[in-house]
Amino acid sequence: MRPNQNTVAGRRLPRLDGAAKATGRYVYGTDVTLPGTLYGKVLRSDMPHARLTRIDVSAARAMRGVRAVITSADVPQVRYGNAVKDQTVFATDTVRFVGHPLAAVAADTLEIAEQALSAIAVELEPLPPLFDPEAALAPDAPLLHPDWQDYVALPVIAREGNIAGRSRMRHGDVEAAFAQAHRVYEHRFTTALQHAGYTEPRAASAAWDSTGVLTVWSNGQLPFEVQATLADILELPVSRIRVVVPGIGGGFGGKLRIGVEHFAALLARQSGRPVKMITTSEEELIAAHPRQAAIITVKTAVSADGRILARQGRVVVDCGACSGSGPGTGAVALQCLVGPYRTPNLLMESLAVYTNKVPSGSFRAPSGPMANFAVESQMDIIAKDLGIDPLEIRLRNIVREGDLGPAGEVLKDVSIEECLRRAADAIGWHDRAAEPGRGKGIACSWWMTTGGSSAVFIKLNGDGTVALTSGAVELGTGALTGAAQILAEELSLDLEDVRVATVDTLHVPYDYGAQGSRTAFSVGNACRAAAADLRQQLFALVAAQHGVPAEEMMLRDKCVVAGDKRIPLADIARQQYTGGGLVARGTALNPPPAYDPARVENHPLPVWNTPSFHAHAADVSVDTETGEVTINRYVVAQDVGYAINPTYIEGQIEGGVSQGLGQALSEEIVYQDGRVLNANLTDYKMPTSLDVPPIESILVECPSAAGPYGAKGVGEPPCIEPPATIANAVAAATGLWITSLPITAEKILLRLKGEP
Amino acid sequence: MRNPLTLTINGEQHDLLIEPHWTLLHVLRGQIGLAGSKENCLEAECGVCTVLLDGKAVNSCILLASLCAGRSIVTIEGLGDPEHLHPLQAAFVKHGAVQCGYCIPGMILTAKSYLDEHPDRMPSRDEIREAISGTLCRCTGYQKIIDAIAAVAAERAGKGAQEDAP
Amino acid sequence: MSFQVHHPQSVADAIALSQQFGDAGRFIAGGTDLVIQINRKRQTPAHLIDLNRLDELAGIAQTPDGFAIGALATHKAVERHPPFQDALRGLVEAARVVGGHQVRNIATVGGNIANASPAADVVVPLLALDARVSLVGPRGARTLALGDFLLGPGRTAREAGELIDCIHIARLPQRSATAFLKAGRRKAMEISVVCVAARLTLDDEGRCAAASLALGAVGATAMRAGEAEKALVGRVPDDAALRDAAQAAAAACNPISDVRASARYRRLLVEALVPRALRICVTRIREGRT
Repeated sequence: MRPNQNTVAGRRLPRLDGAAKATGRYVYGTDVTLPGTLYGKVLRSDMPHARLTRIDVSAARAMRGVRAVITSADVPQVRYGNAVKDQTVFATDTVRFVGHPLAAVAADTLEIAEQALSAIAVELEPLPPLFDPEAALAPDAPLLHPDWQDYVALPVIAREGNIAGRSRMRHGDVEAAFAQAHRVYEHRFTTALQHAGYTEPRAASAAWDSTGVLTVWSNGQLPFEVQATLADILELPVSRIRVVVPGIGGGFGGKLRIGVEHFAALLARQSGRPVKMITTSEEELIAAHPRQAAIITVKTAVSADGRILARQGRVVVDCGACSGSGPGTGAVALQCLVGPYRTPNLLMESLAVYTNKVPSGSFRAPSGPMANFAVESQMDIIAKDLGIDPLEIRLRNIVREGDLGPAGEVLKDVSIEECLRRAADAIGWHDRAAEPGRGKGIACSWWMTTGGSSAVFIKLNGDGTVALTSGAVELGTGALTGAAQILAEELSLDLEDVRVATVDTLHVPYDYGAQGSRTAFSVGNACRAAAADLRQQLFALVAAQHGVPAEEMMLRDKCVVAGDKRIPLADIARQQYTGGGLVARGTALNPPPAYDPARVENHPLPVWNTPSFHAHAADVSVDTETGEVTINRYVVAQDVGYAINPTYIEGQIEGGVSQGLGQALSEEIVYQDGRVLNANLTDYKMPTSLDVPPIESILVECPSAAGPYGAKGVGEPPCIEPPATIANAVAAATGLWITSLPITAEKILLRLKGEP
Repeated sequence: MRNPLTLTINGEQHDLLIEPHWTLLHVLRGQIGLAGSKENCLEAECGVCTVLLDGKAVNSCILLASLCAGRSIVTIEGLGDPEHLHPLQAAFVKHGAVQCGYCIPGMILTAKSYLDEHPDRMPSRDEIREAISGTLCRCTGYQKIIDAIAAVAAERAGKGAQEDAP
Repeated sequence: MSFQVHHPQSVADAIALSQQFGDAGRFIAGGTDLVIQINRKRQTPAHLIDLNRLDELAGIAQTPDGFAIGALATHKAVERHPPFQDALRGLVEAARVVGGHQVRNIATVGGNIANASPAADVVVPLLALDARVSLVGPRGARTLALGDFLLGPGRTAREAGELIDCIHIARLPQRSATAFLKAGRRKAMEISVVCVAARLTLDDEGRCAAASLALGAVGATAMRAGEAEKALVGRVPDDAALRDAAQAAAAACNPISDVRASARYRRLLVEALVPRALRICVTRIREGRT
């Protein structure tokens, strides 16, 4: 089957859940309310670092309408976490950030639960806090986790004291290259904490049944990880935990890790009643899993004609009070610091560091935008200094087909030149007449299609439609509509003939989850495998009945075509009811390419699967009296391998860019003395419709060998380049590089005035 | 202490007993079971709770239910259903304006309110952009939402032109 | 959070209820600010007095010398009021950048003034227009200048039992215009980092016959920049005059540093926006949009 003959895949078809969503009938996690439910709330620390000397919940327990109150004393003393098990349900003896859970309450109403929280007596003795991750690295810095050596961690993770994870990539001899280079540039960049900004807050409902099985309705991205984490916390086998994901109002990585599911489960167990919890905006901004703030130093040696000779980089990601996704996030930054450039000598290091701030997570393309902001800003600084056009210096350095990547892997299906040229052409790169206060910027990057396995079950219904059961959730990206398009294509069905089942870990097959730009790619591959299985079964049945050899059959227009016979799928399905119906399964796993282990140290993701390439370009105006930035145009050229549904791929690009523009210009969780100053959506500034410019998407299709019809991962890349693209465009307009995110009007104006 | 309150929602009267501090959003979702109006910030910053009050878009999350007696309330459920989509709903689906969908009920009602406020004009893209600026969407970057609203406005203008034609 | 809501049918009943409840009572109109303050537990009234049934407080009326904006007039009503689209354009420009349409459809001008937020957008052009606030209360009616009504953040000259009846603005003379500019981190849904309203009247020689400048979010209340106004009157509004006005305004304001912006940046914004707003006024007068 050739992709260019596809009739369902590759088409701009409306998504399967569109009408339900547009009419308000789609059910989200926040919409689940179980009969007789209680409402849960969490009491959180108002100090950043303190010893918890006393917590008295007796008054709260005695309140009318309060059905459960739990603290550390009421829950199993287990530590959980991804890379490092350094997290507990509640603070036991030490609180480590403002927002650290101390207790939870379930009551008949939310108001009673809130009143009960204020009835809990807490005594905290302040400890010296540590807010600056670089200060936390000092040899004499106090240890935020004095027992860190007792924590269980993934074997790959290297830790020491306040460092929750240290990774390195190295190749060649940077020192020798620095010594011989035409010029060496060194810069430091900082980026801010950014909330994922999903419009549906994290929510959960939990209920225990008479057999001791817990069911949790979650709006998390990774139902199987929620299940596994709950199993850790509750000390139960996973088979006694059922996670149902009704619908999700956006995740963007912010809903990868467990949110409030565990509190709901524990409160439901103590009360014997269902419990529902929804986080508030304040809780989201002080105690969710934001994108880490980072400090990045980059030192690059170049030849006189602008070729990169060596690059040394260090990224310090501020994990906050627990490691969260920090060690992996820091490590992935290393590949982004190299970028899609030939780098003969490199030495990269990431440090994920504890501080007394919110434990952070893995927002869409974790660390990608931070590292890209640093190296792509520096690329332009170098270009200007050497008098080379920013596009030209990139074209001189980009990787080519068959080059080795940073881990020594062979790079395939490399499309970075096409992406750069097409983005540059679309923005009118070569028509940059000097106009005061106006400039164009360009930036490029690469990114992985995350691996991990997917499996699907498909069932052929008696009406010829197919039920698709997968463990991957629909975050909103349209990835499951994309997978359904592939399945429909393979079975000669219409898209509407595919029904996607709701995820319930009781009966769906395992999936590595809706993360890492992998869902349409991986579930799509599993759908192709399942369709092959079903075809084989259908052809065998028809062969037995009609005596036509299976190898001469094909599916067309919802029929098995066998010689001159056309047998509708619906007929075969109904006939097979006596045999238990027709079911098939398919699995997919995209193994990572071979790499050179000598180049990496303690890196959880040492080599990237099926990388994608992309370039962004922007045309901005800067008001030199106020510093205000207006984006006139924004262009993205992204290699998607094969566009399964161009409409929703554009949607991914437009949405990812708008999040990236938020990070570039307006968004930051602001801390002062350990407290968040802007814990509400009035002062946490996500882009409105007036802030997002028209975005032009150019879908480059350089097919991959591994993806369905050649597809590559799409979801995360669009938010990588916006900060660098805007920084470079602002610099083109003003002559100044702002090296800290967000690039606020205030920073620009003060710099224009020559003030620090 | 709960007080009696009669609300007219999607053309139907509902006799309720409510706490004085309950917002319209709380009543819609918790008492009436109309969950299409969504909850998020609860401070009128995000717009997912938007409903029509006497035809005008308002944030139901900060509107006390008791202030709505005698007024007409329309929620997303009152606009159309999956078999009979309102033109805005159909356009949102067709133009790929729906991703996670959590802001979409509010977005559609925001758009309806604006188009109804300007019945005789074909709004520009910039005007549409401004019209929806009180409703945050994190998924789409707004572009396809604007496409969908512009398409409905153009269709309406076209129809108007046809009707005006001799 | 427990309060009762009362729905008086007349202004007299509303005043009586307010007197009865004293500090435990609060008037509510759109409630777009009050309900948030209650939810944040910054206000804990025991009684809310719903003004929405008091039709006499609604609407925008022509008066012999100008307009009376009813306390219950919404921001949307101001934004869409046809007589405000020309010389009083600055008022429209302020009304249309308050929150989203959802807030403007219900939030009232009276509520905005009564809140006395230093960053309240509509207050700033009203101040530039020498608006007067009419109050009714147990001891009858009185009218005072908006500038005298605003005492500090969240503090006004409103006495126990008094409620805002309407806001008066005078019709502007020929060759007058207004303009409003606002700076925030985003292009919508912003609480002003700085906002500036200008009112200008030019004489036949093109000199400033009258000038008025009001600033928001740079002091305890929205404020007039009197020295800047003096720097303009009698002069042709050329670059030098505008620069003098800008510098006087920047010197007169008293901003704070907070999570939204530094005091230094706010001052620079005042210096940038004041001449810009004045230039818009000049252009509008020249184009006859008065």
